[in-house]
Amino acid sequence: MAANPSLGETLAVLLARDMADGEKVIIGTNSDIQLAACNLARRMQAPRLWWISGPGGMVNPTRDHLLSTADYENVESAEAWMDLPVMIDFIDWKIHFFDFAILSALQVDRFGNINTVVVGDQRKPRVRGPGTVGISALCGLAKRFYVCLTRHDRSAFVPRVDFLCGPGHMEGGDSRERMGLPPGGPKLVLSPLGVFDFAPGSKAMRVKSISPGVTLEQIRDATAFDVIVEGAPPITTMPTDQELELLRKHVDRRGDLQRKFP
Amino acid sequence: MTKSKIVSADEAVAEIHDGAKVALGGWIFNSQPMTLVRALVRKGARNLHLIPAPGSIAPDMLIGAGCAASTVCVFISFEQFGLAPHFRRQAESGALKVYDLDGPGIAGGLRAGICDLPYMPVPDLGTDLPKFAPEHYWPLPSKPGERKMLAVAAVKPDVCLLHAQQADEYGNVQHLGPPFFDAMIAQASRRVIVSVDRIVSTDTIRRSNHLTKLPSAMVDAVVEAPFGAHPTASPSLYRSDEAHLKEYVKSSVSGETFAGYLERYVRQAAPAAYLDAIGGSRLAALAVSETNLK
Repeated sequence: MAANPSLGETLAVLLARDMADGEKVIIGTNSDIQLAACNLARRMQAPRLWWISGPGGMVNPTRDHLLSTADYENVESAEAWMDLPVMIDFIDWKIHFFDFAILSALQVDRFGNINTVVVGDQRKPRVRGPGTVGISALCGLAKRFYVCLTRHDRSAFVPRVDFLCGPGHMEGGDSRERMGLPPGGPKLVLSPLGVFDFAPGSKAMRVKSISPGVTLEQIRDATAFDVIVEGAPPITTMPTDQELELLRKHVDRRGDLQRKFP
Repeated sequence: MTKSKIVSADEAVAEIHDGAKVALGGWIFNSQPMTLVRALVRKGARNLHLIPAPGSIAPDMLIGAGCAASTVCVFISFEQFGLAPHFRRQAESGALKVYDLDGPGIAGGLRAGICDLPYMPVPDLGTDLPKFAPEHYWPLPSKPGERKMLAVAAVKPDVCLLHAQQADEYGNVQHLGPPFFDAMIAQASRRVIVSVDRIVSTDTIRRSNHLTKLPSAMVDAVVEAPFGAHPTASPSLYRSDEAHLKEYVKSSVSGETFAGYLERYVRQAAPAAYLDAIGGSRLAALAVSETNLK
């Protein structure tokens, strides 16, 4: 009987379930949840998922615990090791090389655009964030992307991002295509309160499922725009004992997700 | 016979003039060129324009010590320890001019710099970046049906500071871990200064020549700097010093406490004294061994 999953473990399991065998993925720096999700998917339905460390270029390093993707220790268990000047062609220019990336953000908006740069004005910001790095290109050029946030409040879920550095559905509708971006955009947004997708047509964020014990009212209160609700959204299917056992025994043996994202 | 390129850290940075465009290599908590950065702070450099690869304490210390007028920001973060303290404070007060560049902006810019082209085309991804850094991004014409493109301006640093694990005296530099953007930065820069944890013979270099990421023709000066990336990691030799990174963040809460930090670890501490200030047992514990594999 597995103990209750922590937030980090739940997010990793929900993401892992959505991955298909053979897909190509890129993981950035400081990505414990993303890394756990990919390695868990490889233990479940997607044994040939192919993932690469964005900064280090190591391909499919296999460990039973979570390491920083930039860590050289990934080298010795990787099946390939690509130099960044080669990788950047796939990251920054090529269309649809990656099936998906999983990104975090300071802000995400109604149409799934994301911001990791500033809160407020870029020239004199209220909060100066870390910057854009590959987020613009991955949101713009991968076949899809996920947004994974460990908090859900009105400062994170905003009507319009203060600085658009990762293009989602832009202004909604077909504006992303009109902007000239290849087909793609955000598929799911995951937060402690629920899982969200984007309504066909308007491309505005809607509730897909709600975390156990959370109400729609709580979600509306914590979201600074009108999130779409169709009917009575289901409760999110939480990690099973089997999923948690795989995660804790083979992917995150040291319990980093429980410690960092309780 | 080729001349030795080995110089001291202070000699290496002596010719970096105020107002220079200085690129910094490594990646976040890996291979930040800290011995060279500390030498630059000691020298009292002013009005530098920083071009850091995704970084942490290297750009942040130069900003905090008052050495920088502007910085390019691809990504500057202290990851699990929070936002970069001085970068954040000076950006939020408006004291530091920040040019936000994304991956294509820095990668395309360096490529243009390397190839002596004025700009490189990158896909227009619809971001707000061009609005706030029009010096770096501008629209390119495209024919109907073609991708929308932006030009990104060539990035040509006056000098770059890099850290790697080993080199010979002629400047054949070997990376025993990921080289990140170091080779592109070196190719784009007018002058290339590399600190290494150890100097090895050219015979040693030849025996594993696939590790030579910067051949000698790309390197102007080599600085022997044991633990020269401390408190960040030097891949395969030592890990990042999390306790020291926390101490740095803690000392950065006020100007007074940060002045104390700089006095202790930078201004009064030429490279050997710095290692004494950190302490032998502490450094030994960071060295990579089977007993401290994380």
